[in-house]
Parts: sequence; C-alpha cells; structure tokens
Amino acid sequence: MGDVVVTVRVNGEERKALVEPRLTLADFLRQECGLTGTHLACEHGVCGACTVLLDGRAVRSCLLFAVQAEGAEVTTVEGLTPADGSLSPVQEAFRDAHGLQCGFCTPGFIVSVTAFLQENPKPTDEEIRDALSGNLCRCTGYQGIIKAVRMAAGLEAAPA
Amino acid sequence: MSPAGARFVGQSIKRREDPRLVSGHGRYIDDVVLPGMLHVAFLRSPVARGVITRLDVEAARQHPGVVAVFTGAEINQRCGPMHPTSQPPNPEAPHAPLRPMAEGDVRYVGDPVALVVAENRYVAEDACDLIELEVEPGPPVLDLEAALAEGAPVVHPEVGSNIAGAIPAMPDPELEQILASAPHVVTRTFRQQRQTNVPMETRGIVAQYDRYAGDLRVWASSQNIHEWRAYCARVAGLPENRVRAVMGDVGGGFGQKAFALREDAAVVVAAKELARPLKWIEDRQENLMAANSARHEQATVTMALDDDGHILAAKVHHVEDVGAHPPGGGGAGGGFVAMMFTGPYRIPRFGFSGTSVFTNTVGKAPYRGPWMMETVAREQMMDHVARELGIDPVELRRRNVVRQEDLPYQLPSGLVYDVVTPAENLEQATAMLDYEGFRAAQEEARAQGRYLGVGVGLYVEPSAVAFSVWATDQANIRIEPSGQVNVLMGVASHGHSLETTIPQVVADHLGCDIEDVVLQQGDTAVAPFGAGTGGSRSAVIAGGAAQQGATQLREKVLQIAGSLLEAAPEDLEIDRSVISVRGTPAKTLRLADVAAAAYLNTDVLPAGMEPGLEVVARYKPPAPFTWSNACHVCTCEIDVHTGIVKLLRYIVSEDCGVMINPMVVEGQIAGGVVQGIGGVLFEEVRYDADGNPLTTTFLDYLIPTAPEVPIIEYGHIETESNTLGGYKGMGEGGAIGSPPAVANAIADALAPLGVTVTDLPLGPSQVLALLHP
Amino acid sequence: MKPAPFEYHAPVTVADAVGLLAEHGDEAKVLAGGQSLVPMLALRLARFGHLVDLNRVTELDGISRENGSLRIASMTRQAVVGDHPDVAKAVPLLAQATPLIGHFQIRNRGTLGGSIAHADPASEYPAVALALDARMEVAGTGGTRMVPASEFFVSTWTTSMETEELLTAVHFPVWEGRCGWAVEEVARRHGDFALVGAACGVRLGDDDAVEQAGVALFGVATTPFRAGAVEQALVGATAGADLAGIAREGLRDLEPTDDVHASADYRRRVSAVVVERALRRAIEEAARG
Repeated sequence: MGDVVVTVRVNGEERKALVEPRLTLADFLRQECGLTGTHLACEHGVCGACTVLLDGRAVRSCLLFAVQAEGAEVTTVEGLTPADGSLSPVQEAFRDAHGLQCGFCTPGFIVSVTAFLQENPKPTDEEIRDALSGNLCRCTGYQGIIKAVRMAAGLEAAPA
Repeated sequence: MSPAGARFVGQSIKRREDPRLVSGHGRYIDDVVLPGMLHVAFLRSPVARGVITRLDVEAARQHPGVVAVFTGAEINQRCGPMHPTSQPPNPEAPHAPLRPMAEGDVRYVGDPVALVVAENRYVAEDACDLIELEVEPGPPVLDLEAALAEGAPVVHPEVGSNIAGAIPAMPDPELEQILASAPHVVTRTFRQQRQTNVPMETRGIVAQYDRYAGDLRVWASSQNIHEWRAYCARVAGLPENRVRAVMGDVGGGFGQKAFALREDAAVVVAAKELARPLKWIEDRQENLMAANSARHEQATVTMALDDDGHILAAKVHHVEDVGAHPPGGGGAGGGFVAMMFTGPYRIPRFGFSGTSVFTNTVGKAPYRGPWMMETVAREQMMDHVARELGIDPVELRRRNVVRQEDLPYQLPSGLVYDVVTPAENLEQATAMLDYEGFRAAQEEARAQGRYLGVGVGLYVEPSAVAFSVWATDQANIRIEPSGQVNVLMGVASHGHSLETTIPQVVADHLGCDIEDVVLQQGDTAVAPFGAGTGGSRSAVIAGGAAQQGATQLREKVLQIAGSLLEAAPEDLEIDRSVISVRGTPAKTLRLADVAAAAYLNTDVLPAGMEPGLEVVARYKPPAPFTWSNACHVCTCEIDVHTGIVKLLRYIVSEDCGVMINPMVVEGQIAGGVVQGIGGVLFEEVRYDADGNPLTTTFLDYLIPTAPEVPIIEYGHIETESNTLGGYKGMGEGGAIGSPPAVANAIADALAPLGVTVTDLPLGPSQVLALLHP
Repeated sequence: MKPAPFEYHAPVTVADAVGLLAEHGDEAKVLAGGQSLVPMLALRLARFGHLVDLNRVTELDGISRENGSLRIASMTRQAVVGDHPDVAKAVPLLAQATPLIGHFQIRNRGTLGGSIAHADPASEYPAVALALDARMEVAGTGGTRMVPASEFFVSTWTTSMETEELLTAVHFPVWEGRCGWAVEEVARRHGDFALVGAACGVRLGDDDAVEQAGVALFGVATTPFRAGAVEQALVGATAGADLAGIAREGLRDLEPTDDVHASADYRRRVSAVVVERALRRAIEEAARG
C-alpha cells in the first residue's frame, strides 16, 4: 500500500500531499505545510505543545495521522493569528500577563485556551486550572498563564 | 545608577520576544531546514553495563532511504578533543573517557552505539530497528553506596575506581572539639533523588560542513553559542574561526544546554565525514533517558549549638552521583556546596568533605542551581535542629541569620558577603504569611484531625560567577547611520527576556527610545565572545556590559552633538533619541543627525575624533560572586489517608538588587519554584535493579501542571549590589529555596504524628510509608 | 519517536471493519480515539502491519435507551459522554467519571469503546462498566454477541474478544429508585491515571438502608476489580454504618500491583479509603433522593 494522497483544509487553505499513512498530523503541518508553529515536545500525547483544532475541537496533533484528517478543517496557532500582524485577544493576554518565557509550549497553550474560552467564556478559577492541566510548561510555573486566561476572559484587567 | 529619570529600567515592559512566539513564528532548531538536509537517529544501548559482542549495521546500511550508518568506533576515531572550554584536559583528575559514543562496551542505558543518517527521521528509526546489537550484560553500579562499596564493579576501567572527585576532610581539631562538647549536637543525613531538567524543547543540532569552503556551520538549541563554536571546532579538527554557530529561539535549557554533549559531537563528526547537512532532534524519550540527570546527592550534616540555639559549628559530608559521562568527563559540584553551605547564617566554624562517584546511569549536567544541595540540606537541618531544641524554626533562623550589622561578613570559605539581606527577607516573608496566625490556624486544624504545615527555605545565591569563561561579557553597541541602535552580545537568552531587558538598560543609559534598540544575539559571526546565558549571570554581567557600553557611547554622542549644537556636552540632555540643550528646548538634534556626522559627513566631527558611533565594552563584576538572597515560605495540607500533599500558599521575599524588569524577575522565580515543587512531590529519574530507566515518558516522569501549583506571592527588597547597575542575578534561586520550603512544610505537618523527613521525593507513596513504616 | 510503517484502512461499515480484522488477524489493530494506541506506536512498544481506523464508521456513533439500559455506541467521544443529558440522567456514574479522564483535549478524541476495549486497569470507564454490570456488544464474523463486564476484562490491556472481534457498543443498566453515585480516585496530578480509585453506585430503600450496591476499583490489579464482598456487606447498611470498616474488611484479600508511582502497600491501604469516601458520598446523595 504505501503512500496516500491526503487533502486537508489548514487555516482555511486547501493542502494536498502524498504521505505515508504513519506521518503524524503534527509532522504533516510542520513539514508538508511549513507551519512550524505547532511544536513537538513529547510525541506521546502528554505535553500538549502540538495542540491544534480539528473541526474546531482542540486535539493533540501528534496522536493523529495526517490521513485521518482527510476532508477536515485544521486550525493551527498561525491560523488563530490575525493576518495583519496584530495579535488575537488570547495572544495579547499572554503577552500582557507574561504567560511565556521560552515560548516553546506557548502555541499549544494558545490553541487550547482559545478553544476553552470559546466553550466557556466566563470560567471559574478551578475550571481554568482544569482546562490548563493538559498542557505542560517548564518556564513560567503557570503563574503568568493562569493570569493570561483570566485576562482573556475579562476576569482580570491587563496592566496599564 | 541610571541617569536622572530612568525611564525603562524598573518597569515591567512587555516583551519584544512575545509577538513572534505567541503567533507560532518562533525559529527553533527543528524549524531549521536546509536543502539536502538528512536526519540522524541513534541506536542506544538497552543495557546499563556490558560488553558489546555483536554490532552489525549492514542491514541498516542497505535499507532504502538510509545514506550512512556509523558505529561508535567509526565516529570516535574521527572525533577531536571534546572537553568543554571551561574544563581543559587535566590528566591528573579522574575523568570518564571523552568520546562521543560507546565503543566495545556500554556504560548506561541510552549510551549511543550507532548513528544512522537517513532521508527522514521515520526511516532513520526503521534503520535502527535493523541494527543487530548484542551486549553481554554485567552488574551495573546504580547508587551512591554501591559505587563506593568495596569490590564494586568499576564504571570506567580507565579510571580504576568509581571516584570522580573527592574533597578530603581537612583536619580541624578545634572543630572536632566543638562538635564533641557543645551543649547540643545534632546529626542528620538528607537524601535527594535523581531528577532531570526537562526543558520543553529537547536538544537538537544541525551541522553543515563545506569541504571546499573549509568551514562548518552549526545551528543548535544551546545556552551558549560560543561554547558550541569552540567545542565543534575541536571535535571537527577545524580552526575556531572556520566555525560559525547559531542559535535561534531555544525552548528552555536550565543548564542542560550549557554544554555541548556527546551526541552533538557525534553529529558534527558525521556531518564532516559526509559533507551533507545533518539534523538531529532529540526525542522526549531520549531526553528523559540520555540527556542528563541531576540532584542525586546526599549530605550528612552535623550541627553544634549552644543552649540559646546559636550555631557554633557545622560539618558536612557530601556525596553526589555524576553518572557515567558528565560533560568533560568529570565536573564534581562538591566545591560549590562547600562554599555555600553556611548560607545566610553566622556559622563560625565549618568543615566539609565530599565525594563524587560514577555510576552506570546517564551523566550529570548542570541543572538550575547545581550546588543547591547546600540549601536543601541546611534548611531541612535547621528545622530538625529546631525540633530537637524546642525552638520555633523561624525563631531559630532569626537567632542565626546574618544581619546588616554583621556586614561585610566573611564566610568560612573565605568569600565575603558585602550586600545581603536574608534577615529582611525572613521578616518580610513570614509577615506576608502572618506566621503567628498560621500557627494558630494549624493548631485548630490539628484539633479537628487536619494536618497543616509551614516550611521555610532561606538562602543566599552566588550569582554571576566571575571566573573562567563566565567572568565577563561584552556589548558592541552601535548606532547605525539612521540613528537606530544595535547591541551585539554573546548572550543566549532562551526565555530570559534579554531582548527586552538589555534594550531597557541601553535605552536608559544612552538616552534613546527603547523602540530604537535591538539586541542581536545567538550568532558567533555577529556576537562578540560571550559565555551565554545561565548561572544567573545575565543581569549583572550582560547588563553591566550593556550599561558600560551605553554610557560610553552616550559620551561620544554628546561630544559630537555639543560640537554641532555649539554647546558644552554637560549642558545637553538626551531623551527618547532627541538631544537638546538644557534651557533651550528649540535647539535639538536627533540621534540620526549625530550618526550622519559620525559616518557620512565626517568633516563636521570635532578635531581628532575617530569617526563612527560604535563602542566595545567588556564588563567584569568587581567580586567573584554577586550575592542575592531570598526567603521562601510554603504552607500545605496533607491528607494523611492518601498521602496527597496540597500546597496552600507560596511566598517568596527576594532581593536581587535593582530589578531591570520586575515582571521578568517574578517569572524567573515562578519557574524555579515550580521546578522545586516538582522535585519534592512529583519528579524522579528511576532505574530498576538492572539499570533500566523506568521514567522515560511524561507518563512516568511527572512535572507539575497548573492545578498542582499555588499562586505565588512576591515581596521585593531592592538593595543595590556593588556592580555597575546595582543588579544581582537571581535566575536559579527559585529552584534553590523551594525544595526545602516544601519539604519542611510536609515535615512540619507530619511532625505531630511522629514522622521525621530526611529523604526526597515525598510523593503520596513515600508519605504514606512514613506514616505507616 | 516515529511509528513503524503500517497499511491504513478506513472502512465505513462495521462489516467491513470486521472483515479487515478477520483478514489480517494479529497483524491488524483497531484505531479508535488513538489517545492510548498512538503513543504506543510512537514509542514502538507495539507495531501492526495494518491499522483499521473506525473513525469513519458512522454506525458506531450514537446514544439510545434500550430495554432498561443506555446503549452507547463504541466510537462515541468521551467529551460527548461527559456532556450528554441522557448520560447524566440515566448513567450518572459515567457522567461523574468522565471529567476525571485525562484532559479535555484527550476527551475530544478518546472514545468510550476505545477506553473499554483498551482495558487499562487504571481507567475509569472499565471500572464503571464492571460496577454496573454493563454488557459489551461485540461484533465478529459470525454476528453480534453480548459479553457481561465480569467476563470481558481478562488482564492488563487484554479483553476476552477474539482477534477479529470489534466492540460496537456498551449497554449500561439504568438504576431506578433512590440512587447515589460517586467516583473517588487518588491521582498524583489532575488527569493522571489513578493510583487507586473506586466507582460506586448505591440504591437505598425507603428505610434509608442500602438495597443494592455496585462497587468496582481501578488501579489496583491487572483488571478493574469488582468488590463483591464490600457490596454484600453493604446490604442493609445506612449512612451511619462503619463504612471504613466495611471497606477494609471487604478488601482484605486484595493483592494490588506495585509500580513506579505507588507501592502495593500504598494501594492496599488507600483502596479502603477511596471506597469509604465514595460510599459516603453516594449514600448521602441517595438519601437526599
């Protein structure tokens, strides 16, 4: 059997490639689509750095094969970024709250948090922590990240 | 200090790094793609110790998509010297053989045995599966006692024993006399488990050798690009100026990427051999198994005190595990532990001895505050002593802490504390908690069968070490013809926000707008020789160099401007890149106008002045260390039926001198604190009895997630250091004060149940075992 | 960490899926949510020549009431199970267990059937199925059969299904009357596999005494563990009963596993604790009804 043609809509644009079935969606996005914002930090579905939206739901792209995304809509962190060089409200909040340092885990958080706030726009603190539990960060100790989610949800004001 | 009206230093300026990082446009090592690039995978030993009886790579070589397979021997024989710059070869010191790969035998699970080069990583791993490797296993040495036991198997036959380093006890009859006769003498042994750094980005390198140009280009996930240049030059047998090393964005390091490690050497050698660009991206399993370990140490502490709880003397014996292949083959940390053990307290007499041992496990590399066992052991000891003597642990610290009137205070190691404030931190942190209030609440809770605890970690941090390669940093500050400012430095910010904080310093001291300053780092062709980022050195040494350079450049700018404006330089002000004459606001010049004179219309320059607007400033701090300090206070509640520890409050009172960017300071503290929490409650690199690593995925090596961490509360005290900017380094401190604060809180909660705590980690299984021995 | 090569199949019917499993035998593996299988493939702990992706088999979607049970088709996403009003009403224990499974990103892909068929002894759903005497609807080349939960879980990651069989749905009995439910677990971090956990359901009579109880533990053995002795001792018990004692006595013969995260001793002790806490909550809830 060998390679398969796969057609996926990525960030609103149709992408087509000939791929091995075992090529993960994460590698497809990074290598075939040149969208390197999605990061690989564990490749076994724990750290969340590879999070993308698949038909609007946050999923770990390292645990999907590109062939499984046939006909689906995938949104990566690049797709959540306004095209004019500005930042989305969630991205601005991460900047305001110092929710990142090295930035490697950040795209996964941006995607997860964007999806979470779409479902739950006014979360409690416990719901926020719960929603963040599937993404690992080693630099921030989560302090700035929790603050960023609160700011993005309008529960806390951004600094002047 | 900043000239009057410091605009940027001291402000929590939003980071320039962020827009590209939050939008997924960071440029990390795996984002580097070169035409014709090939991919590397390593076959690694599945056995901790043994003789390689068969290594057949032919099937792998023939596999479609495979370009080359190298055995360990083939790589090793082509590899030049691979010591770190700071550790030149010393035939006297015991050291593991310095070679990139296993050859003939294997010495830890993960020891690289063969290197596969293929058209992609998938195929490279397929080829690894085809390599036939047989190892005749031997009994591995896995822990501190076993390494030192009589007749123990020897990890490195070349060394002859498992001792990687030793600091013998100095005979000190006076010390022994005090320890023998003091009213109170307490001895405890504290143990810490193996951990690993876990940056979210694993290691990685891309190497490209051009046979005809005779040069090597290396891209790396690195904390010190000049170290990579020097190391790769040595390994490849090329002159240093024929190697260019570049880092883009780097996803954390915490010391794991301070030194190039064995795989980096192997990839460079293979790249030179094949003259094709090669990329190796470490996967997470490799990272948890074969990057490095840290913190596997124990300390036996004896303290002697008088009846009022004043410490009269202390003695420590320290043993640490350096694994099989630490960078440089050796590199024992005991010396630093000895130097810092007395920490924030007045301890008049002190004795230290230590041993570092090799084991058949992954090598020890630096991890945020590598010497921190001194605080982990000392701060737990203070609580043990307090319980023995019936003194409150905060009160015991009060009675012994170094105070302002003690300064300058000379440590038993000979170093001198010039500007430290541990007593002030202790008071601020305990006040923020309302320590008395907590003790009352604790008692009430105990009456209801609930177990709350409070723990303190008080320490002094030796930042900005000023010897060897780390002693200085240089800033080349250049005003371009358009008036924009470039600051070129050999720093390697990888989460440290230097792209924001260096411009803050330069803008304040040069007088330009912060938007007009850009930090250029991470490329040895651009940046002057530097020592990268780590060791809590950036604020002091990089900040110092930037400040020094900016100040010098400002002088030149004012001389030129004064000449053009026909005013004395002392009468001029620069604000947001506009120079004006004090009192005559109409007479102004832009920085661009000064630059035009310096580069384009050089005839208008003052007589005898060298054209151009560039300054080179290399800064060395005045003292071997710049001391910062902090007090961590942690409260917890323990469910004694399940052993689960819940952290309630976490308070840090810290003094890092002048804060360039308070938001950045707090972020650094937070990251370190949560690593320390991880080290007490969740993390352990574990091996089974045969030396097989058991924690090679994130399902088994557990780092904290958001629900497990409390909101950290910060108190800041700013006492200027004697360095140029008044700054003090603090990046490692969060990870130093936290483990004992958390461990002490747990011990305090369990004390009424007759439990004593000396060993880490303290996961639920360990806590319950302490409650039910 | 890249998987070994495989051939990929995306059947659209159960019959086709079963046909593929029959054709390729041991060389084939079903791909459901992928949250457990794909990590194993990436780590090369497992490799299969053929992956049979069930995500396009629409027959395997859906929740319906049938004869006193709630039938949940096997490819129903965990996120859907957790949010579905019918599940909350008819099988509250499932609704309670779901938020404890991993993280929301996992639940967006993970499936009920996948979790049950993967049979990880530390998972919540298998224990819930066991506690409630659920029945597994299994399709093979010869048609469909029902397997009671008590016969389904054989060992770690091993069920009684044949190589060519496929779990198509799980039928959860619906309890009527004054019922209470609780899942109580100890995990090191939020969303981790439980070190030990208990899924409990109780039904009280009008006299507030327990008439029926279903108690199953997870994380303690190579399969979920039905605490039958505890259930029997509970009949007739009221909220004031010595639940701790009942739990300890009933679990006396438990021989738990030892691993990197917790010792056997830990699991033995804490099993009784989670059972007691779960029972207390469940009985209190039932008493309010």
